[in-house]
Amino acid sequence: MFSLLLAATTPAVETAHDAVDAHAAHADAGLVHELVTKFGIDGVNVGMQLFSFAILAVVLYVFAIKPVLATMDQRNSKLAEGLKNAEATAARLEQAQKEATALVQQARLDADKVITDARQLSKELAERETAAATERANALITKAEASIALEHKKMLDEARVEIARLVVATTRQVLSKELSDEERSRYNAAAARELTTV
Amino acid sequence: MRGNKQTQQLAKQLFALSLDNGVLSSERVAGVLAYVEKHAPAKSIAVLQAYQRLIAREVARGQAIVEHAGPIDGNVLKSIEGAMSQRYHRPVAASAKASPELLAGLRIRVGDDVFETSVSAQLDALASAV
Repeated sequence: MFSLLLAATTPAVETAHDAVDAHAAHADAGLVHELVTKFGIDGVNVGMQLFSFAILAVVLYVFAIKPVLATMDQRNSKLAEGLKNAEATAARLEQAQKEATALVQQARLDADKVITDARQLSKELAERETAAATERANALITKAEASIALEHKKMLDEARVEIARLVVATTRQVLSKELSDEERSRYNAAAARELTTV
Repeated sequence: MRGNKQTQQLAKQLFALSLDNGVLSSERVAGVLAYVEKHAPAKSIAVLQAYQRLIAREVARGQAIVEHAGPIDGNVLKSIEGAMSQRYHRPVAASAKASPELLAGLRIRVGDDVFETSVSAQLDALASAV
């Protein structure tokens, strides 16, 4: 600010000196002198004002402008840091999203694998259970068939024994009625021959 | 127990005295009984019971009971007596006994031995075989 003021005032002073020099050189120089006189421009006053303004400018620069600039620089650095942090955060967020996506994908794959394994296991279990049930059923059928065969054989044996008993009883009754004494006598003689030759 | 053993031994001795050349003699049996009646040994009833069992067994060994169904000829009995005497090497007398349940045929008992050829036995064998 002070430099700006100096830059603004310095051309004015040079312009004044050029005007004095030009007064000696030109005839219109009296016009400038007249103007300075009319407006009451005093070099000492101007110098004092310039000195006072310089002090004011220094004081303003030290106690107002410099802290303000420092604060602005600090805020700018904070903003830059914030932007940098925001970019990093965005990058981390993007990375996190990628990781989350990868995790979700992996979880989906794991879930699919678990489901596939569970289906396979269920299928194998069902097959084993089916095989075991079939084996049990076959065993039951075999046992039942054996039992039926045994029962059938037992029934046949019982029927055979009963039939034989009936045949023998009937034959015994028939023979006891139908055999004549002559036939019995002949049979007795034959039996005697058989027994005496033993 | 000791008395029972002595009774058996005395009965066997009396039975041995009742044999004449290995054959049971009625005279000797009568003499043994007279001796027992006269002297009355200890436990004479038990001795006589054991002696009776021995005599009965010996009598049975010398007797062939021929069970038959239907008529039987006397020659058949004689042939049986001869065959059994030859088989047991002692005289065996045959006696007939009607047994209609045989239907036809003979059953001969000599002591504990049984010989049988009859329709009833064959039917029983048939029933057992089936």
